[in-house]
Amino acid sequence: MSNYHEMEMRVVYAQTLSELIERNADVFCLEADLGKADASIPVVSKSHPRNFINCGVQEANMIGVGAGLAREGKIPFCATFTAFATRRCYDQITISVAYANNNVKIVGTSPGITQGPNGGTHMCFQDLAIMRAMPNMHVYSPADANELRAVMFYMAESKQPTYMQLVRLKMPKLFEDGCLFDPNQAIRLHDGRDVTLVATGFMTSFALDVARRLEKEKITVDLLHYPSVKPFDVKTLVDSAQKTGAVVVVENQNIVGGVGSAVCEVLGEHHPVRVKRLGIPDRFGEVADQDYLFNKHGFGPEHIAQACRALSRSKSK
Amino acid sequence: MDKKEMTREQLDSLAAEFRYVVTDAICRSGVGHIGGVMSLVEIVITLYYRIMKVKPDEPNWPERDRLVLSKGHAGPVVYTTLAYKGFFPKEWLTTINKNGTRLPSHMDQILTPGVDITAGSLGQGLSCACGLALAAKHDGKTHRVFCIIGDGESDEGQIWEAALFAAHNRLDNLIVICDYNKMQIDGRTDEIIDLEPLADKWRAFGWETFEMNGHDWDGIYDTIQKAGAVTGRPAMIIAHTVKGKGNRETEGLVDCHNVKIPDETTYQRLMCGLECKFDLPY
Repeated sequence: MSNYHEMEMRVVYAQTLSELIERNADVFCLEADLGKADASIPVVSKSHPRNFINCGVQEANMIGVGAGLAREGKIPFCATFTAFATRRCYDQITISVAYANNNVKIVGTSPGITQGPNGGTHMCFQDLAIMRAMPNMHVYSPADANELRAVMFYMAESKQPTYMQLVRLKMPKLFEDGCLFDPNQAIRLHDGRDVTLVATGFMTSFALDVARRLEKEKITVDLLHYPSVKPFDVKTLVDSAQKTGAVVVVENQNIVGGVGSAVCEVLGEHHPVRVKRLGIPDRFGEVADQDYLFNKHGFGPEHIAQACRALSRSKSK
Repeated sequence: MDKKEMTREQLDSLAAEFRYVVTDAICRSGVGHIGGVMSLVEIVITLYYRIMKVKPDEPNWPERDRLVLSKGHAGPVVYTTLAYKGFFPKEWLTTINKNGTRLPSHMDQILTPGVDITAGSLGQGLSCACGLALAAKHDGKTHRVFCIIGDGESDEGQIWEAALFAAHNRLDNLIVICDYNKMQIDGRTDEIIDLEPLADKWRAFGWETFEMNGHDWDGIYDTIQKAGAVTGRPAMIIAHTVKGKGNRETEGLVDCHNVKIPDETTYQRLMCGLECKFDLPY
């Protein structure tokens, strides 16, 4: 058994894709000249050259080629940076994939601030928002290597057009190897009564650290991890909000339209409580490191902890 | 009747009947893309009656030849052909563009039996056709993928992405026809955004490139057969056509792209502009 959590997520992605192709020759790996960046070159290109297609710098065409392959029963995983995987070819995905119900798997790598040195042109803060606004599209954001594998196994089995965020970095271990993924089920990573904390993808491990830290301050956090942003598990959130009475959401995205918005939509209709959205406050990206951007935009561990304290206190007033 | 052996007179008659029926069908919804439908009648008839392997009673027959109408707004000419071939009842043609129809203005692979790829947002169908052709190559299948693109559609950058891709991947099972009627919505193609030298462009992109008169039966048939025999590279056929062909009210007119038929007078004028009258099949 491999220790996937000790590997970069991109290597896990490429190895898992190879594994999926070995199991099912209909699985394809499509790239748009970023195969080296997400490790499918050489991992998939060497082991399964017939199922590896490099489209060159042609994101729009890659999506269409994927749609055609899917129409013939293939299961293409089309990967590139989040900005190019979503907003650059949004209409191609909308029509050739979602509207036509072609079973294409779109993988957006280096979401949000994890794009780091590539800066504002490459940092995409709205992919979760725009992809979840698309009918017939599922949207996933796994938080560690083992969950990534579970999500990919699910994607290869399902007939559902899907967008998945892929953090390329090594991520702290949250789940065991062999864990399962259910898009209709949020995962409670920490049990609490004082405040609900919602996170997905890259932010979940930070949120768990905060939840553990706040125990020492006698603040118990009900931490819900959403590996699937769409479909969105309504019941788990509503049950939690009924228990805690306040919700903090943190995401590696613009607070407009993303997971925070999804939470507000659900709670607004089912159980209105105070909500604090943390993430990018409607700004563009820039060349900067993680801590700088956490501090500038106010959604790092310290800001999450502060928001949890504030909301748990505000209930008693 | 084995349509491969159809005489020129029979083909002419079928084309005239299709033009009559498709015009009537489009008129019933009050608006439609008559110009780009009429320019494709001979080409689509040739494909479905003389070239392509299809089974109307088994629309998803795995060995069928595929057709992607990338200029998806010309859907009604394909719908008329599919109805006459028996993919669905001809009565469906009266529902084109109407509420709840299975024959929407633009091609829809979910709604319509016999439609291989959803298309309508221009430039996307050719990429999908590349995917179909790639899948066939991967699986060692011998069926062919036909794709019809528009000249206005050729303004889209995605067409040229797909052009690079198909040549690089040696998709010689892909045969593309460009409906070069030399008109787009806002005017003549050479006024809006000039495509010339169009054939040279495709040759430069690595495609075996042919030109034909898109209304000449023998020319269409022979050119598609030649294109189908090309190996090692994809084939492009530039079809010189006339927008709105076969109707005095639309033929060669820039403003026939999307025609409004608001009243009975307009309907009668359009139907009288056609060469012959036929009994409607529904």
